[in-house]
Amino acid sequence: MIGLSTERSPSTKVVVPHFIAASLALIILSILTFLSANSFIGSFHTQYILTIVHIAALSWGTMIIIGSLYQLIPVVFETKLYSESLAIFNFWLFVISISLFAYSFWASKLLDLMPYSSSMIFISVWLFTINIILSYKSANKKDISAKFIITAIFWLMMTSLLGLLLAFNYKYGFLDNTNYRYLKIHAHFGIVGWFLQLIMGVGTTLVPMFLVSHKLDNKKIERAYYLLNTGLVLLYIDWQFLQTSFLIYLYWTIISLSIIQYSSFIYDSYKNKLRKLDIGMRHTMLAFVLVSLPVIFSAIIVFIPYTQFAFLKNIIVLYGVSIFLGFFTNMIFGQTYKTIPFIIWLNRYQKYVGRAKTPFPRELYNEKIANIQFYSYNIMLMTFTVGILFNVLLLVQIGASLLIFTALLYNINMFKIIFEKKEIIMNK
Amino acid sequence: MKTPAEIEKIENDVRELLKSVIDPEVEINLVDLGLIYNIDYDGDKNFDITMTLSTPSCPIGDSIVMNVMQTVNEAYPGYDTNVNLTFDPPWTPDMISEEGKKALNK
Repeated sequence: MIGLSTERSPSTKVVVPHFIAASLALIILSILTFLSANSFIGSFHTQYILTIVHIAALSWGTMIIIGSLYQLIPVVFETKLYSESLAIFNFWLFVISISLFAYSFWASKLLDLMPYSSSMIFISVWLFTINIILSYKSANKKDISAKFIITAIFWLMMTSLLGLLLAFNYKYGFLDNTNYRYLKIHAHFGIVGWFLQLIMGVGTTLVPMFLVSHKLDNKKIERAYYLLNTGLVLLYIDWQFLQTSFLIYLYWTIISLSIIQYSSFIYDSYKNKLRKLDIGMRHTMLAFVLVSLPVIFSAIIVFIPYTQFAFLKNIIVLYGVSIFLGFFTNMIFGQTYKTIPFIIWLNRYQKYVGRAKTPFPRELYNEKIANIQFYSYNIMLMTFTVGILFNVLLLVQIGASLLIFTALLYNINMFKIIFEKKEIIMNK
Repeated sequence: MKTPAEIEKIENDVRELLKSVIDPEVEINLVDLGLIYNIDYDGDKNFDITMTLSTPSCPIGDSIVMNVMQTVNEAYPGYDTNVNLTFDPPWTPDMISEEGKKALNK
């Protein structure tokens, strides 16, 4: 059937390794979080927190997003991925470079290893963007969802460029006292420009599709797109050139309005849904509720001028935790439970359709394990948040232990989906 | 050649038959999902089935179409089944039957 997405789907050899690597990275991330529990309530500018943040952002978040994007290109752009060989080569380059990069931070090898490992990440990110942009050139569909994705990729390139600048600065020290300014820009390009924007773009297509909801107001999505990017560009201009202290309220408001517009679209989709929430969509919907937490924490940081330093420090840590462990991780859990069973089903069982009784994609994972994981994850998030807010090390350690437990349950299900072969009963 | 009443009966039988083809993502059959627009039997040995997908970028589109052809071919050996895929009119959730809506919320 010419023109259908199944024909354009990339090989599982391109997509699945990203999910395996990211799942394993989550276990490493959870163990390192447990080992560094002290840093979450102490001084957070440590090599341990920097390692954890980058494993969360690169090995967990970006890795799984790259794998998912390769699969989603035929759906969102209605075209094939430009080069599968480049994607496979790039996967290994990315795995090796982020492993070296994480080690550079953890072992404080900032002068010798860091410039090389960050250069490798930079090359890998740009190769990925070239592959996506060349795919986009032959896209049959260039709607708002595609616009979000391409813009997110632009911000990813800028994030990696600034990351490279900061990494070389460790060795050569050319940024002097502007180092912290670039660190803030690097972090917000990555968080707002890349992750948030990408999730918005993909969610625009996937959330209504999975909830079976139509007749939605796409103007809200358009507004969210322009507000988000206007806010981010203005924030960049200010931090880079103006360094005003009062305009930050304006940028915060513009970006928050974008999130409100987008959340309103998701709420409309939820309200009009014809389908009950399954485990994947429960995680996804919860992620959209939890996106309010970083908005609230950033409001405290921006709007409360006389905050005590100790309290402010806790809020800054919670801002990061609510983004990476709250919003992103929940979203990733949700969307992997929706997409990876489907990818495996397409590859393994689709060929038997009509000739044999095949399992449904939902039957490829253990629902009980997925449910326990959902609750352990949420208890972890609450425990971790209270522990950080009130400086209670024991609670942070309990939270980190629950994160390890959650990561193990997630891995059991991911490996079950990917490697377990269900019995096929041929029709008589 | 069959009489108009016999043709109509066979077309209805095929419609019933296609209730055994399930969309693996939403786990509802294609008829209740509203994807089957028309079944045309010529009274001899040819079926023309006009159907759609929930979206042109449906990730399992060709699997669904293949399943429709195989299901009809197995039930009517020696017949030709032609599937016409159309996106005009585009599918909307309003096309889901009451049974389908109930199944979605189970």
